Amino acid sequence: MNKQSTLYTIVFIFIVSFSFVFLLSMTNQVTIERVELNQIIARQRAVLASMGVDVSDPGRIQEEFDRVFADEDAGLFARRGDDRVIFAMEFVGAGLWGPIAGFIAVADDFDTMVGIEFVEDNETPGLGGRINEPWFKEQFQGVNISGGRIRVSVMEPADASAGRVDGVTGATRTSDAIESIVNAKLAVIRSDETREQFRNLLESGGDA
Amino acid sequence: MSDVDTRPGAILKNNLWTNNPIFMQVLGICSALAVTNLLTNTAIMTIGVTLVTGFSSMTVSLLKGFMPRKVRMMVQTLIIAFYVIIVDIVLKAYLPEISRNLGPYVGLIITNCIIMGRAEAFAQSNGPVISFWDGVTSGLGYMGVLMLIAFVRELLGFGTLFGFQILPESFIPWTIMVVPPSAFFLLGFVIWAGKSAMNRQGAPA
Repeated sequence: MNKQSTLYTIVFIFIVSFSFVFLLSMTNQVTIERVELNQIIARQRAVLASMGVDVSDPGRIQEEFDRVFADEDAGLFARRGDDRVIFAMEFVGAGLWGPIAGFIAVADDFDTMVGIEFVEDNETPGLGGRINEPWFKEQFQGVNISGGRIRVSVMEPADASAGRVDGVTGATRTSDAIESIVNAKLAVIRSDETREQFRNLLESGGDA
Repeated sequence: MSDVDTRPGAILKNNLWTNNPIFMQVLGICSALAVTNLLTNTAIMTIGVTLVTGFSSMTVSLLKGFMPRKVRMMVQTLIIAFYVIIVDIVLKAYLPEISRNLGPYVGLIITNCIIMGRAEAFAQSNGPVISFWDGVTSGLGYMGVLMLIAFVRELLGFGTLFGFQILPESFIPWTIMVVPPSAFFLLGFVIWAGKSAMNRQGAPA
């Protein structure tokens, strides 16, 4: 058989491609459930983290999440904690190199932030990427948002009661991006329409 | 490359040192810049590259008798892509956190010139077992250099090693170390040091 002939080449390529793609599909099929479960857990973990729930033990995440009422289509979450009700909403916005996504949690008076958690970012590691460090995220706990806006800057001292948090030194554009993303989302969260949705979510969940 | 010494020991020495993919052949530089600012990420990435190089060299060697010459490169790329996707799927399923950190770089292993280089230069004309060994040792040569660069970058850029705080809190991290240009400088030093050492040994540089 002539191995350089066109027919042989076509048959060879067909068989090789078919077998490799077949094996890949099988591998994918075998692991798909696990991958999806990982994604769900990562998401639940982020929602809980934004609400200030301790998520250090991966085994407890699903148990804790059972106490959260979720409207996945609208990206809204409500949780009746031991002493207070917390609402969280998903956000996506433009960062420096790519989208920044995560969850913002607020108290049920809609005037105080409870926390923030990022699930996706493409910021520069070590600079803008530091938004994932605990010190940065913890700043958002208890920030006054009654003015409807926050400020993320290195120029003014951080002051939670005035809605100001520290930016990341050397990552001004990431800090600015966080500021505008959070402010845009706060406007949505604090709108009458969304407040209504949150309350409905809590009630419907309360009945269940 | 026609009269290479194919004894396992010689291959090991060749791929780790005298013909190191990074500092002698200057291959695979893109990933040397991209994934070397944290040791953990570098370790996982280079293990991935090592496995992919080993298995794709083996597969290329197994299939070489059936391969029509004109589609040789296409088939090699297909084989490499196959193993890279397997690595990607395994990471997503079992190490989701690392998979998230590495992001697109796992997929970009496909473009790592070392893998194709070994497939073309070695596996195409040698048996499967020795080709596997050649691929793995090439990967290890790559890993050694990248881990060295990552060690310096993480230590000076974050003050940590594998995520553990090593330097005192008072240490001010070097911002330059976490951004890609530092990898250029370090790589330059590594190539310089490697070639100088080899010149002293009298080996052809």
